[in-house]
Amino acid sequence: MSAPDCSMPPVALVTGAASGIGAETAALFRRRGWRTAGIDLRPSDTDQSVQCDVTDAAAMRAAIDGIAAKAGRIDAAVSAAGYYEEGIDVCDISRAQWDSMLAVILGGTVNTCAAVLPHLMARQGGTIIAISSELALAGSATDLHYVAAKGAVLGLVKSLAAELAATPIRVNAVAPGPTDTPLLAADSLWRKPDYLATLPLGRLVRPDEVAATVYYLATEGVMYCGEVLSPNAGAVI
Amino acid sequence: MVPAAPGQAVALVTGAAQGLGRATALRLAADGFVVAVNDVADDGRLTDLAGQIGGLAVPGDIADPDAVTNMTRTVIGRLGRVDTLVANAAAMEMGPFLTQDPQIWWRQVEVNLSGHFRVIQSVVPHMRGAGGGRIVLIASGWGVIGHPNATAYAASKAGLIALAKGLGRELGPQGILTNAIAPAYIDTEQLRVDAADLGITLDEMRQRYRELVPTGQLATVGDIAGAVAFLAGPGGSAFVGQVLQPSGGVTRTRA
Repeated sequence: MSAPDCSMPPVALVTGAASGIGAETAALFRRRGWRTAGIDLRPSDTDQSVQCDVTDAAAMRAAIDGIAAKAGRIDAAVSAAGYYEEGIDVCDISRAQWDSMLAVILGGTVNTCAAVLPHLMARQGGTIIAISSELALAGSATDLHYVAAKGAVLGLVKSLAAELAATPIRVNAVAPGPTDTPLLAADSLWRKPDYLATLPLGRLVRPDEVAATVYYLATEGVMYCGEVLSPNAGAVI
Repeated sequence: MVPAAPGQAVALVTGAAQGLGRATALRLAADGFVVAVNDVADDGRLTDLAGQIGGLAVPGDIADPDAVTNMTRTVIGRLGRVDTLVANAAAMEMGPFLTQDPQIWWRQVEVNLSGHFRVIQSVVPHMRGAGGGRIVLIASGWGVIGHPNATAYAASKAGLIALAKGLGRELGPQGILTNAIAPAYIDTEQLRVDAADLGITLDEMRQRYRELVPTGQLATVGDIAGAVAFLAGPGGSAFVGQVLQPSGGVTRTRA
């Protein structure tokens, strides 16, 4: 482990960096002068684009070790990789659908944390930010596997934050409201005017609003420990 | 003092003579706001602060409805608008529930909760006229999880949290975004008061409070001012009715 090069800008690692919230987050960190690394199944517009499946623990460890070796350090890790399925009755969620959702959203976050933590521990600093969902706070219908996985992420975040509280490493979550990304199908329930009219802000959240929240946590969030920040347009109050 | 330049946002911060309110005024000014600073009276500190940041001193007891009316009238008259209200002023006195003087008990509710209710009433029409605004209520971790001998303070701060949620729903559709911040232990002048109460040194007081925080650190006023600046700034546009809890892990999203 080489000493961090303080003359170099900090490094943000983002999973799911090829699209949506992940892409917007990586872009914001880059605009603010950070170096960026993206992990996604597809190439991402980052300084180090690594194509890797977040469900593969060994591959994630290799990918993140490689990123750290090349960049010299990791300052912030953002776990944004995920996907969404809706309109499925609880009895119709197949075992494969359930397992896959848990593997990507919870497993991907676990694998990211496990691979990045040794690098943060080595330099005694840094932050991990997991993207959850407002659906995990208040529940939902016909997307039970997604809600369960995002809720599990919150439990992981709060407990890992407590476990690391005595260190300078911070772990927190961002739970956006329904966000205008490619994950929301054109005919998604969450895009319907009837639903949007129930929100105090009457609109979907924009990915840049989620990115701004992540950036705030990463740069001024030293007192947040196991918190959930909710840029959700009022979906859950 | 001239009205804010076109496009320049105006913030009003209550309880700004010292501590968190002062740090918040400095931060918002650094972020480009013209800041009106209020406290119960001006012993020179408010005027000095206003001079330092190119803002406006508007002293007045927010528990007094007429003083609130005058304060907002002055801010509008001199600066032309109010885009952001930071409800920070607070009265606090610890005492056992059954024996604390009812006047002291209710004074805390009168300032912290009712006072800010009236400040909000006075500024919202101007925010509506401008098509939106931000309201940041400084609550407390003790309003989230309670604290012995602080029933009045906790009640008033929990009331502010409920107010943030209700106003979030009621005013959100009009583009007025209300949120709360619930810090826990902050390294401010209040610690000297707490230390004197217990007959211990300031450093001993700091250490006792650190031991109550999972991360083992007290928040600086800058940490909390940063949370205000986030909610008042461009990045906070999807937050409404939320409670930020930069508490070092004391409350972990229990509000």
